[in-house]
Amino acid sequence: MEQSLFDKYGGFSAISRIVMSLYDRLLDDDTVGPFFDDVDMPRLMDHQTKFISSLLGGPASFSDDHIQRAHRHMVISDAHFDQLKALVSETLADFNIEPDDIGRVLQAFEQRRPLLVRVENVD
Amino acid sequence: MSIEAINEQLLRAIGVGVALVDLEKMTLGFRNDTFAEWFGPQDNASQLVDLFPALDITALHEGLKSTGQHTTEASFKLRRRTMTVAMEFNRTVDTGGPIAVLVCQNITRIKELESMIDSYSVMVERNTREIKREKDQVEKLLLDMMPRSAYEEYKSFGIVAPRVFEPVSVLALDFVGFDPLIAKHEPGVIVSELNDIYSALDRIGEQFGCQRIRTHGDSYISVSGVPDPEPEHVTAVANAAVRFLRYLKQRNESHPIKWQPRIGIATGNVIGSVVGVQRYIYDVFGPAVSRALALRQAAQPASILGEASISSLLDETFETTNCPDINGVATVCVSEQSAAAPATG
Repeated sequence: MEQSLFDKYGGFSAISRIVMSLYDRLLDDDTVGPFFDDVDMPRLMDHQTKFISSLLGGPASFSDDHIQRAHRHMVISDAHFDQLKALVSETLADFNIEPDDIGRVLQAFEQRRPLLVRVENVD
Repeated sequence: MSIEAINEQLLRAIGVGVALVDLEKMTLGFRNDTFAEWFGPQDNASQLVDLFPALDITALHEGLKSTGQHTTEASFKLRRRTMTVAMEFNRTVDTGGPIAVLVCQNITRIKELESMIDSYSVMVERNTREIKREKDQVEKLLLDMMPRSAYEEYKSFGIVAPRVFEPVSVLALDFVGFDPLIAKHEPGVIVSELNDIYSALDRIGEQFGCQRIRTHGDSYISVSGVPDPEPEHVTAVANAAVRFLRYLKQRNESHPIKWQPRIGIATGNVIGSVVGVQRYIYDVFGPAVSRALALRQAAQPASILGEASISSLLDETFETTNCPDINGVATVCVSEQSAAAPATG
């Protein structure tokens, strides 16, 4: 069986640093940060832990239907999606994830765009 | 620069929030830079309860009165981040009256890590439960395919060493006219009937110490004495055999398809092993199995044909009548004491 990126890069002890770093970036970012203005910390942390775990093949996986339902109440534009993608890319690069692996993660992330983006553009 | 000035600069620059609380007015006076960064610049009129609405003022007063100290935690939002500080109040006396030194340690990261670990633990626990459920299903499947002892051996060593079991008794059952039945009915109906019948035969067999080894179409093979020795193996298969017939007779009375079973029983030795590398299956084979199949072939519908040698091993609850030899082996027809026994075909 092919080793997941989650295992390849050291399991939870290593991935937890990536989660924390992305969490910091999201909160500091004025494009995607406002989505989390009213989300309490444990819920946001839970969201980030599951998000990174599922992207890297850790112990979380979500069906397309689940992802769509979880984001239904948000108005997400391509610009928001692009920004989150950039933040994920930067974060992974900071933790020495190989470029090919980052490419694969972003590709998998990109496949979810139609599930999340509901508007063409938002000012 | 004076010592006091250095002290003040240090106090202002450290990563711990420090403020002075006027205990009579319950207002905040001096605050260092870190405290100001979290809660805004110094304002001598700012009330403690405004900054920390969840603070238990009564408990604070009691703590300061009894031990001169009070500790608690508080959360607040700094932009969109939820911050958590561990607060420690220490009572002291200033020239103006009683005050408390409030020291706030930033424990936000610890709380965030705790939340992350909680989230991860829930995921791992759920996965562990799923893995266990799948493992149980695989184990159940394997236990359906082989005896527990063979399964344990397989689990520990990855193989099941072939073993000779002796003495054992083998029961072979099939149905007369099976092929015409298949042609006459929908496949789903036949499979459903066989599922129902085989499940019942399994239950009956288990009651008498017999274990089903395999089915192949209408061929049902059960043994007694594998893998655990069974001194009464002949009686076990004879008991199972007469009840199989009884069950099917009763079943036929209330079902549209009339099954006509015939049974051969034989004793001797068999080899038990897992056969196959990928599509493995636990099987028994050997002279006793071959003889049971030959006897079944010769048995009349709704009858049990066994080797003559088993007569002396059966008690008075069974009746045996001599039947023609099969492949040079003397045979007997086995029945319950009260029932009439048909001859071989």
